[in-house]
Amino acid sequence: MMARTVVQLERVTKSYGAVRALDAIELAVYEGELLSLLGPSGCGKTTTLNVIAGFVEPDAGRVSIDGSDVTAVPAYRRGLGVVFQSYALFPHMTVGDNVAFGLRERGMSRRDAATRVGEALALVRLPGMADARPQQLSGGMQQRVALARALVIRPRVLLLDEPLAALDKKLREDMRAELRDIQKTVGITTIFVTHDQHEALGLSDRIAVMNAGRIEQLGVPREIYERPATRFVADFIGASSVLTARVLDGQTVELPGGLRLAVDLGRPLEPGRTVELIVRPERVQLGGAGGNAMAATVASVMYLGDHTEVRVTLAGGLRILAAVRGAVALNAGDAITVAIAPDAFLVPGERPAGEGRG
Amino acid sequence: MAGRLVVAALLLFMTLPTVVVIVASFNATAILSFPPQGVSLRWYENALTYPQFRKAAVNSVIVTAASALLALPVGTAAALALVRHRPRAATALNAMLLSPLVIPGVAAGLGFLIVAAGLGLLQSRWILIVAHVVLVLPFVVRSVAVSVANLDPMLERAAASLGASPWRAFRRVTLPLLRPGLFAALLFAVIVSMNEFVVSLFISTRVNEILPVAMFTYVVNYTDPTMAALSTLFIAATFVVVFVADRLLDLSRIFQIGGRH
Amino acid sequence: MRGTARPSGLPAFLLLAPSLLVLAIFAVALGALFQFAFLEFIPGSLKTGGLTDKNFRAVLAPQYLRYIWDTVVLSAATTVLALVASYPIAYALARAESRRLRSLLLVLTLAPFFTGAIVRTYAWMLVLGSSFITWPVKLLFEPSGVLVGLVHFSMPTMILILAAAISHVDTTYERAAASLGASPRRIFWRVTLPLTMPGVASGSLVVFAWTFSAFPTPELLGGGKVKMIANVVKDLALDSFNWPGSAAFAAVALVLTLGLLALLGRAIGTRGV
Repeated sequence: MMARTVVQLERVTKSYGAVRALDAIELAVYEGELLSLLGPSGCGKTTTLNVIAGFVEPDAGRVSIDGSDVTAVPAYRRGLGVVFQSYALFPHMTVGDNVAFGLRERGMSRRDAATRVGEALALVRLPGMADARPQQLSGGMQQRVALARALVIRPRVLLLDEPLAALDKKLREDMRAELRDIQKTVGITTIFVTHDQHEALGLSDRIAVMNAGRIEQLGVPREIYERPATRFVADFIGASSVLTARVLDGQTVELPGGLRLAVDLGRPLEPGRTVELIVRPERVQLGGAGGNAMAATVASVMYLGDHTEVRVTLAGGLRILAAVRGAVALNAGDAITVAIAPDAFLVPGERPAGEGRG
Repeated sequence: MAGRLVVAALLLFMTLPTVVVIVASFNATAILSFPPQGVSLRWYENALTYPQFRKAAVNSVIVTAASALLALPVGTAAALALVRHRPRAATALNAMLLSPLVIPGVAAGLGFLIVAAGLGLLQSRWILIVAHVVLVLPFVVRSVAVSVANLDPMLERAAASLGASPWRAFRRVTLPLLRPGLFAALLFAVIVSMNEFVVSLFISTRVNEILPVAMFTYVVNYTDPTMAALSTLFIAATFVVVFVADRLLDLSRIFQIGGRH
Repeated sequence: MRGTARPSGLPAFLLLAPSLLVLAIFAVALGALFQFAFLEFIPGSLKTGGLTDKNFRAVLAPQYLRYIWDTVVLSAATTVLALVASYPIAYALARAESRRLRSLLLVLTLAPFFTGAIVRTYAWMLVLGSSFITWPVKLLFEPSGVLVGLVHFSMPTMILILAAAISHVDTTYERAAASLGASPRRIFWRVTLPLTMPGVASGSLVVFAWTFSAFPTPELLGGGKVKMIANVVKDLALDSFNWPGSAAFAAVALVLTLGLLALLGRAIGTRGV
């Protein structure tokens, strides 16, 4: 994993008027990896991509590629491949001319370019489409052309700005797998911007979760999901229930309604403190035996095919979301028992001192 | 339907003068009569051989060509700056660039007359060309600005990411995509300049006068249908230009009329 | 996130410099106009005397004030009539089902727009003064005839502005109103017209301003009997060679036009024209 660093951001800051789009971003992207920038809209992920691409000049900080400072280098001399959300295919050119654009700008002859264009189109499984017009193609095909156009110049880094957002669900899932295949085949260092957690979890080697111009957590997908560093990350990745509780002793907490829960985090809790406990819906057992059994009322039941989402209300009025495989024979108003194993709780890591916002 | 009848009647009102002019231009006699007493082309012959018309036509072509070719790059640059850079004073700049549309023609005309007299340019075509550039500039800026606004700025970023310098990106991506807007701008500039009358009347002498001014003088002094013949030629030329423009450019898109395309 | 973060190409001031130069020339011409308006007219000469406010006092003389009043009345009447006559055509244009019908309507609308003032006005001279159409009242060289010409002259502009406004009204609103039981007439008054008010406002504004300084139509169709401000300016400048007097009148017309536009624009809440 610890291969050499290709892209490095050091204290990169960018403001638009009073809005701080990027707040001293530190990021290293390693050779051959696919790193996702994940976050809600306005979190700064696209600005980060634009700073790396050279479309946006940071107010402060340094951008390096392969160890050399490119902060002042214009976009057209950075040699990076970019796939845009809207694809940005040139409407006045054929597919072939679109893909050949970068090669021709590099002074390659029409003939040599044609060979490379053919190879690139074959790579994205669009052989023989060079003479088509972009407007004649479906969204998925335009997507592939945009990818071919970015890859054909053999860029040092591939930057993808929500490339799947404009596709419908089924196609998006197919393209996700295909994109990963192509990226592995080419072995290119890739930065991928998305607001879709499934996309990020499924595609990435590492994920940087962004919020309000900062990176909240940087890690491999499992780490992000299982050990969220902040409440924001826990909330954003996976629908979770958050319970605010007071620590009684190292293993026991008390909820506002007076309910007591056993908690096993693998380390003792500090008595007297208030903590936020996060519970993933798949870890909530309905009608459960096991630890921490509590009386509850079913608030709503939503059947979603492969699983069912059940919202329950605890005695103190607290709401918890549970997910059950398949269907359940429950109706709103039913009285049931829910159980949460002591080791099912997550507590987001404390933030470093002085970072109190969010 | 009643609605259709109303629209048809209003369209008839709009086209009536044109029809009457065309009928009159083929009338055999100098005094208009209906139905026409015989068909004749003598008024066309008159119009095309009248020396002052010929001289004015040459002036018109020179003034229109020069002002359109000057206003096109000037206005295009301004439209690019206004839409792309959004300068702080964009609203004020926009209002200033469009101001020749609302300044009364006689005020502008008299202003240019006073300046021209002071500089000794009263017999020159240059004063006409300069005035026409001022008057057609708003039309150029408007049509190009619409095109620039419709251009996806991501396309230029895409070109940059593929290694095209700003100038190359402009040449290979921006300019080709702006072509319909530039063509429309040129069309507007030519039509507006070709028909400009009020300002030109103030700064025209018999030496440098353009066709509409010569036509005005003719109408004031003579009543025969020579003017009808010349008008018909003007109308025919305009119809052809507008029709061709609509075919090439889909004018309803430029004026933002009709369903989403 | 922003499309304009690092605009490529030349800096804005370089792109704007040529058009600012053109505007500067225009400003010099208008400046010369205002300067002359305050200089004394020496009859029989194009030379001017010293500073004076005589020219503006002349504008306020009763015979000239009448021309200003006539101009206001004609402009207002033109605006109202052009609005009423243009709306149906604009609606048909905006809601035309086929591209061919729309093109036909557009070409018929635009052709007079592009034909030019002299040809159009001459055409109306023929229509109003012809021996083969018998008008119930005399129109040529009368205010009513000038009004007909002005309305005709204004309609293409009005139609284009209204049609653009109507096109921007999503037909879903009209369908929603219909589904709620509104008759076509009610739909027009309760939904379509209110939603196109910005177009109605800016169309009226533009037409009023243009008509206020109309020249060829009153000049030819008024035959010297009907005069608007612009005709007085031309008479003074080109027939009497009284440039200072003419300049004062033109300056008043300019200030009134811009003032009216600003006032109307503020009242209606549109951002200029």
